[in-house]
Amino acid sequence: MKRRFLGVLIVLVCSLAIISGCKKKTQVTTRPPVDRPAPAETAPTAAPAPTLDLSATPTSIKRGASTMLKWSSTDADSIIIDSGVGNVGPEGSVSISPLESTTYTATASGAGGEIKASTRVTVVRGEDRGKISQTDVQALQQAIEEGKIRPVFFGYDSAELSAEARQILEENSRWFRQYQGATIAVEGHCDERGTEEYNLALGDRRAQAATTYLIQLGIGSDRLESISYGEEQPFDPGHNEAAWANNRRAQFVVE
Amino acid sequence: MKWKLIIVSMSCLLGTEALAQRPDAVIFPTPTQTRLAAADFTPRTSANPETQEALSVFNKVLFDDLKFSTLFVIPSKSFYPLKPLRTIQDVVFESWQVPTLDVDFLAFGTVQADATATVVEAYLYDVKTRQQVLGKRFTISDTPLIRRVAHEFADQIVYELSAGGSRGVARTQIVFASQRGDSKEIWVMDYDGFNARQLTFNGGISKFPEWSADNKRFAYTVKLPTVNRWVLRNHEIDGAESTIRTDGTYMSSPAFAPDGRIAFSARTSTSRDSDIFVTPPSASRFRNITNHRGVDTAPTWSPTGTQIAFISDRSGSPQVWVIDADGSNVRRIVNEGGHCDSPDWSPDGRFILYSWQAPKQWKHDVYLAEVATGRLYQLTSGRGSNESPHWSPDGRHISFQSTRTGKKQIFIMNADGKNLKQVSAYGINESPSWSKYPPE
Repeated sequence: MKRRFLGVLIVLVCSLAIISGCKKKTQVTTRPPVDRPAPAETAPTAAPAPTLDLSATPTSIKRGASTMLKWSSTDADSIIIDSGVGNVGPEGSVSISPLESTTYTATASGAGGEIKASTRVTVVRGEDRGKISQTDVQALQQAIEEGKIRPVFFGYDSAELSAEARQILEENSRWFRQYQGATIAVEGHCDERGTEEYNLALGDRRAQAATTYLIQLGIGSDRLESISYGEEQPFDPGHNEAAWANNRRAQFVVE
Repeated sequence: MKWKLIIVSMSCLLGTEALAQRPDAVIFPTPTQTRLAAADFTPRTSANPETQEALSVFNKVLFDDLKFSTLFVIPSKSFYPLKPLRTIQDVVFESWQVPTLDVDFLAFGTVQADATATVVEAYLYDVKTRQQVLGKRFTISDTPLIRRVAHEFADQIVYELSAGGSRGVARTQIVFASQRGDSKEIWVMDYDGFNARQLTFNGGISKFPEWSADNKRFAYTVKLPTVNRWVLRNHEIDGAESTIRTDGTYMSSPAFAPDGRIAFSARTSTSRDSDIFVTPPSASRFRNITNHRGVDTAPTWSPTGTQIAFISDRSGSPQVWVIDADGSNVRRIVNEGGHCDSPDWSPDGRFILYSWQAPKQWKHDVYLAEVATGRLYQLTSGRGSNESPHWSPDGRHISFQSTRTGKKQIFIMNADGKNLKQVSAYGINESPSWSKYPPE
């Protein structure tokens, strides 16, 4: 019982020490009070340098597919991998799907120093992405900026397309048909009055409603990416009915 | 006919009465009677500055932990005898039994810090029998750990004196989503708000963290900055992560069953909108257990892992529903109109916490539904919106997010709504998930 408890405390202390970057040797013990001095600390010995290995399998993927990033280390207190992977354990793996070719660099640091290891993941365009045209992308971006491609709005707590929303989607679909070489993100948004978990699902229904109608109008499903933002990115930060109505929307983004 | 109408409206009134009823008698049926005194710890040999500093932290943390536990009546320190207590020889038991104090148990001890180590000697005595209940010595070589020693001793007192009712929450942690820059990331802090630190560095939006039943990992919902897709991540306590994804772009709200199964909300190529899915811990075999038109989200497991409460708007507005984990026997638990969200099943199975927005009232409050009776109790009121309630592991406390002081921040309180305490202040903080007990 006591031994297990001691072990747990040591684990807690170690993790605290790692996180705070504290180099000081820490020790926690618990036992019934007896009048004798605390045990003397042993002199620190030279720590071995950390080792680190990082690899990706496969190293080349189609855009949208995923690859497994694997790492292992010895004598490291902390490992950080850049490009959004973050703090990781001494060894492990994570599935990643970068949208562009990316070099991942891991940094391992321990009492014996710091070491880096890198691996590159090459991303090739899948066949459905082969038709991307910068001219088309720019034409659609301009139409969005000029308000020719318009967002559609929804009623409170609703993902139903109104007659007006359908008409806007029909007009938008002409633009999407004219400029075929671009992928369109359909973003679903909600006003702040709902709660967060419900709103993330409701925003998905709104994005789906607009996406489904665009597919019915003949836009290829491989060109449409439906994504909910819930109440994360209000278009209008106000707290009134006008702002809320503005935020209940599906909007279109071309990147 | 008229009489029938009157009876109906009477029962409606009674229903409203139930909502307004004070929840403390239901949640804490046995009133707290154990009287405890926590005397200020004193220097053991010399009152050097390091010792003074350690003492001021230790005494405050221990007293706050014991007070927050809800398990004791703790008389004010102003009634305590003035004589400093160092060892049992200093204790005059009669002076702790005067009518203003009349305590059953007394905690006291010493703290001594020097350049290399801090030693805490901590005692708990039964005042009536004059027997020692606890005697502990803690040695630490890093002074910030003094908070942890105080939490540790508080938990030992709670465990000893609650007859197994609680293992104490003083060493528990809260994970939450925090926006302190461009991105929203997952952070963790001690239950009292100290030692906050960032755990994810995803960029984009990370939300809805939820601890596993064994306390070894939590799962959360994330959208990376350049990807139009929500996925779930498992985050181990050593920092390693793994991703759970479906073929859809919407996933949300993971929740762990006691055996490690994960329930979550998702839209996949085989479901037309959000449904509740269940997957075994280590395999991606998703089973759609709701498969119904409309939003199904925010699942929470019953403590035995046989049922799942969730939010569905299949009847109109989002309400709390319960379904067996195999997808059968779906039924509505809360049916009050308005908006319900974020249910959390209590550790003893008796209650489901949730947030509720009354029709046309643009604020949310934390409510409690008693599963067996369907009775509802309001736990928060007043300014701001109060959302995302979550139980502490002993079922005696609740964490939630509130805008009552401005931006969204994390608050904790007793499970009857009393003893409210704000535990975050920097940035925007939301979706708290209270950890389970730390491992023995």
